Amino acid sequence: MANEAVAKPYWNPYVAGVGLGLVLTATYLVIGRGLGASGPALRAAAVGVASVASAHAARTPAFTRILTEPHPFLNYYVFLAVGTLLGGFVSAYVAGRVQPGVTRGPNASIRLRLWAAVFGGVLLGVGARLARGCASGQALTGGGLLSAGSWAFMISIFVGGYATFLLTRKVWR
Amino acid sequence: MTLFPLQVAVENPNVAMGLAVLAGFGFGFMLERAGFGDSRKLLGQFFGNEMVMLKVMFSAVATAVVLTAALDGVGLLDLRALGTLVTTETWIWPMIAGGLLIGVGIVFSGYCPGTSFVGMASGKLDAAVTYAGVVAGQILAAELERGEAWRRFFASGARGHLFLYDLLGIPAAVVALAVAAIAVGSFLFGEWVERRLGGEGAPPSPTGPKRFVFGAFAGVALVAVATLALPSGARAVQRSAGRIGVEELARRVFEAPWTVRLLDVRGAEPCAVARIPGAECVAAAELTGLGLDAEPPVRDLVIVGAGELPEPPAGAMAFPGRVLLLSGGFAAWQGWALTPPTPPAADAPTAEREGFRLQSGVYAAMTGVKQPAAAAPSGGGAAPKRKKAGGGGGGCGG
Repeated sequence: MANEAVAKPYWNPYVAGVGLGLVLTATYLVIGRGLGASGPALRAAAVGVASVASAHAARTPAFTRILTEPHPFLNYYVFLAVGTLLGGFVSAYVAGRVQPGVTRGPNASIRLRLWAAVFGGVLLGVGARLARGCASGQALTGGGLLSAGSWAFMISIFVGGYATFLLTRKVWR
Repeated sequence: MTLFPLQVAVENPNVAMGLAVLAGFGFGFMLERAGFGDSRKLLGQFFGNEMVMLKVMFSAVATAVVLTAALDGVGLLDLRALGTLVTTETWIWPMIAGGLLIGVGIVFSGYCPGTSFVGMASGKLDAAVTYAGVVAGQILAAELERGEAWRRFFASGARGHLFLYDLLGIPAAVVALAVAAIAVGSFLFGEWVERRLGGEGAPPSPTGPKRFVFGAFAGVALVAVATLALPSGARAVQRSAGRIGVEELARRVFEAPWTVRLLDVRGAEPCAVARIPGAECVAAAELTGLGLDAEPPVRDLVIVGAGELPEPPAGAMAFPGRVLLLSGGFAAWQGWALTPPTPPAADAPTAEREGFRLQSGVYAAMTGVKQPAAAAPSGGGAAPKRKKAGGGGGGCGG
């Protein structure tokens, strides 16, 4: 596979942003729904907990509704995630950017990077549950339709990031 | 009747799931093109070398905002109805807290859940580990939610469907123009920061695409604003009244009565005898004199007829917010709320048991007669449960 030296440059961010906005608008108009990415994680969490402790999972309010569905993974957001993986792969492959590895700062060990990833991931998971959606499902989808909560959420993301990014210097710098 | 969204997908989950793969493909493709398959690119936002998250995210949001506002202006869609269909309700405090947590999560993991898919598709192990963390975070949040205090916070600041045009009290097209202006302003500011911090190393910003994108934002937003000058009668005719079922109405009347205004148009006498809690008795002929057009559109207006109303009574559509007709009218309400419900079997599906709890709660409130408790799996008695508490159909919480 191609290495980074020959990978094509990324698109102009404004053009990529408008492209993303057109995909989002088409999703509203054709499907009457939005984009998102944290739904499958909630479903995986529910099914995973149920497989080891089914009675406990059934009594967990966040999971009860999902677990009553006959097929928890036959769901709009799961299919959306499948498409996201496909679209990401096709774009990366065409541009010569499919390259197994761990992205990290020049001075970070792989171990430190992966611990940071899992810690950040847990915060993303808790945050997505509290906010009823992640950066795509809540900020993009709701922001594009002028939902007040989504705009408050979007601004909070930047506040949270700027308040703490210096703590992550060892990972990225 | 508006053209969008296409009813076939809204009403048929299988069609929606098939189309979801296509929508996801576009989503993943664009995120990868922007560079989010590599976590270092996203972190450039915070370390100041390239404000890529601001540029991509805000461009995407501004595109959607100006396009939907313009389509609403020319009558091809009903922006409020679309927003109510697609977005989650607003719970202001947990959303701010969730946003702060996600901001911290982004700088540690280098991804948001959406971009981690793209990282995984590019072969990045850290992206897969991040998404595993997201699953663990969902489990942690679900466990925390078993506690009363956390649940109270989770449900705090509930404002129902709240849109910026309602909050600010100005037309959506004007908000869209402001969003376009703020987006362009923030891009110019971001590029100034890039130049200050990066000097010669600042990322190139060719003027060609920028001129095109900024011009398109301004152009479409101005079209949306221009549609405000169209005769308002034409716009009002294109708006259609929605329908609300008795069960959904009962939920709202008992859980969030501040989100609905009920007008009972059956006439003074039957309305004086019995009506839905909180309903105002207004003869249909008097609707035009209520000054509904000057009401702030923060609550939904629900019209209650004797039976099914084929169309909203004259004057109701002057209300600038959402107008809903009670399906089946008061007769349906009576049949549902004033008939003693039968308890479901203990092994009935959760939805059925929940439905019974709601119905017996409403029945008790309306008649003073308590029903035997359902075989409830969790405490909560007759209190109706919020249907869309987070894990609902909207956003990516589903």
